[in-house]
Amino acid sequence: MTSKNLILQGIAASPGIVMGPAHVLTQEGQVSTRLLYTDQEVADELERFNRAVDKTEEEITRLRREIADDLMEHAHILELHLLILRDRMLLLETQKLIKEQNFNAERALYQAFLKIKEVFQRIGDKHIRGRIQDVEAVYHRLLGHLTGRGSSKTFEFPEPVIIVARDLSPADTTKMSGTQVLGFITERGGKTSHTAIIANSLEIPAVVGLDSATLEIETGDLVVINGLTGRVIIDPDAAMLRSYEVRREEFENFKREVTQGSSLPAVTSDGHPNRVLANIEQPEEVSLAQKYGADGVGLYRTEFLYLRQRQMPTEEELFLHYRQVVEAMAPREVTIRTLDIGGDKFLSPLEYAPEMNPALGLRAIRFCLKEQKIFRTQLKAILRASAFGKARVMFPLISSPRELHDARLLLVSVKGELARENIPFDANLPVGAMIEVPAAVTLADLLAREVDFFSIGTNDLIQYALAIDRGNKSVADMYEPLHPAVLRMVRDVVRAAAKAGIRVAMCGEMAGDPLYIPVLLGLGVEEFSMNPTSIPVVKRVIRMTPLDEARKIARRVMKRATVEEVNEYVNREMDHRFPDIFRFGRPLATNRTL
Amino acid sequence: MSTQETKLWTIEKELWVENRLGLHARPAAKIATAAQQFDADITLEKEGLEVNARDLLDVLALDSPQGTRLVLRARGPQAREAATFIAALFARKFEEK
Repeated sequence: MTSKNLILQGIAASPGIVMGPAHVLTQEGQVSTRLLYTDQEVADELERFNRAVDKTEEEITRLRREIADDLMEHAHILELHLLILRDRMLLLETQKLIKEQNFNAERALYQAFLKIKEVFQRIGDKHIRGRIQDVEAVYHRLLGHLTGRGSSKTFEFPEPVIIVARDLSPADTTKMSGTQVLGFITERGGKTSHTAIIANSLEIPAVVGLDSATLEIETGDLVVINGLTGRVIIDPDAAMLRSYEVRREEFENFKREVTQGSSLPAVTSDGHPNRVLANIEQPEEVSLAQKYGADGVGLYRTEFLYLRQRQMPTEEELFLHYRQVVEAMAPREVTIRTLDIGGDKFLSPLEYAPEMNPALGLRAIRFCLKEQKIFRTQLKAILRASAFGKARVMFPLISSPRELHDARLLLVSVKGELARENIPFDANLPVGAMIEVPAAVTLADLLAREVDFFSIGTNDLIQYALAIDRGNKSVADMYEPLHPAVLRMVRDVVRAAAKAGIRVAMCGEMAGDPLYIPVLLGLGVEEFSMNPTSIPVVKRVIRMTPLDEARKIARRVMKRATVEEVNEYVNREMDHRFPDIFRFGRPLATNRTL
Repeated sequence: MSTQETKLWTIEKELWVENRLGLHARPAAKIATAAQQFDADITLEKEGLEVNARDLLDVLALDSPQGTRLVLRARGPQAREAATFIAALFARKFEEK
């Protein structure tokens, strides 16, 4: 067999070079496809499917039992799901496809589901047509049990693989973190897409926006990912493979070199202290944060527990996770962001219909203020955890003082509840607002009166300020952190915070990119929160930069009218000042979203 | 009731969907659940399209908004009870509006 040496160009989303066998997940259900060849295989597959059906039934029945009486609506939905699970169209059709078409169970189930979807699309009544969401929920649950996700919550592969998919949802990737995934290749997404974020946090290479990936690559193909350049090589020959081995080695050495000294304090070369914090998503990442010398956690994303499973996490479950992080980081501070669900992250397909424009829809604080029961449970868990170290809470997507006011009111009420129950908590838990909506920038002086700190979420702020969908490839390159409009917003927020005497942090991708650090220092940002892997290089830049010079750079930047001019200036300046750091482009500048 | 009768006779009832939201998930679930509890073959027909009342998704796919006319057919030992029970669900608008 000759090697194809096929080179494809995508978008570099997570640095590093890796080679290994591909595992292609097909669209929609992320279903792996395989044909069955013997009668025995067919019989085993039927058996496997039926077991999954039984497990799913047990699971739904158990959930149904556990539901409190005041959630009868939810109970009804689960009963509906039991009926769907045993429905002819789903059950018999899948079994038939396994038997007659020799499909593996996942594929057969997917086909059966598609067929039901078709039937439902023809239904005129929109309420009835909408019930396809319930079928979908059952489908996913069943699929989860088939792939073992239901029990272990992970995809399982026989050997370390490179995942190739059209797109990966938070729900998909959260189930992969424990498994042997070497890297990701996806067709959709940009530098700040979910896949990029996860790859960065797992420290594995990723290339996204590679249009034909699932068509060109087959499961089992040997693939090289170059997460520095965005290049993917399918079926490389020996020479190609060798050259990538060498580059991989070089890069790993570079990474080690940069990482050295990351435990030193983030003080500018003329002695001004700053704080470099970690963005984390799971308690397991605390060790990564510590390893890279984080001064605390500047952004603890809390969606994971809500996305991993389809039912709501309990207060106890949340508390245990939060406590683990707060305790492990103590005496360092942990900033817990309340639920930022909605938008591209979904809670449950049952409860919320798809929105036309999720980024502008019911998400984050809006969702929480509407679903107060969910919100209160989370606040209670956060408060309880605050007794075990140093915690702060911050509310995402704030656009008015009213939202802050309402959220704080709830917090007070939850505190009262805890006090009555004699449960310890930090009565002075600092409260912060994320500044990520242009309205919040404009109202920063008013918002500053309501909170103890600000955290500028640049990813959303840039997206909203420039009207650029960061997941949309055709405009992704217009997503410009150095846009004068963005820089002015940062400046204004820092000023408002200084005037009110509150702290201000930045926790978007921008804060973790060494390219922007001197500009941000110059604008007065003193706390930077980022993917743990970015900490070493950011610290290095801070430690090498005199604050005076940074201010000069910032002043020059603010005088430039176009993003092109700013980019040109900043890149030239940084290449000149830090030639070694940008040797691999911006390899350790990672793409965490908020 | 003789065996003969249970084998041969089909009970047929005309039903009207009167609740405002039509045969959406909850009513369809009630029908399917009921149909599964009786020892009888029960079908629902709408304009020539006939489905097994036990199959929730098929019942939903009948696409029956308020005002739809359906024909229920039941055969088997408990045909009469089943038909009566399901007809009552319709008559009570599935406890909805």
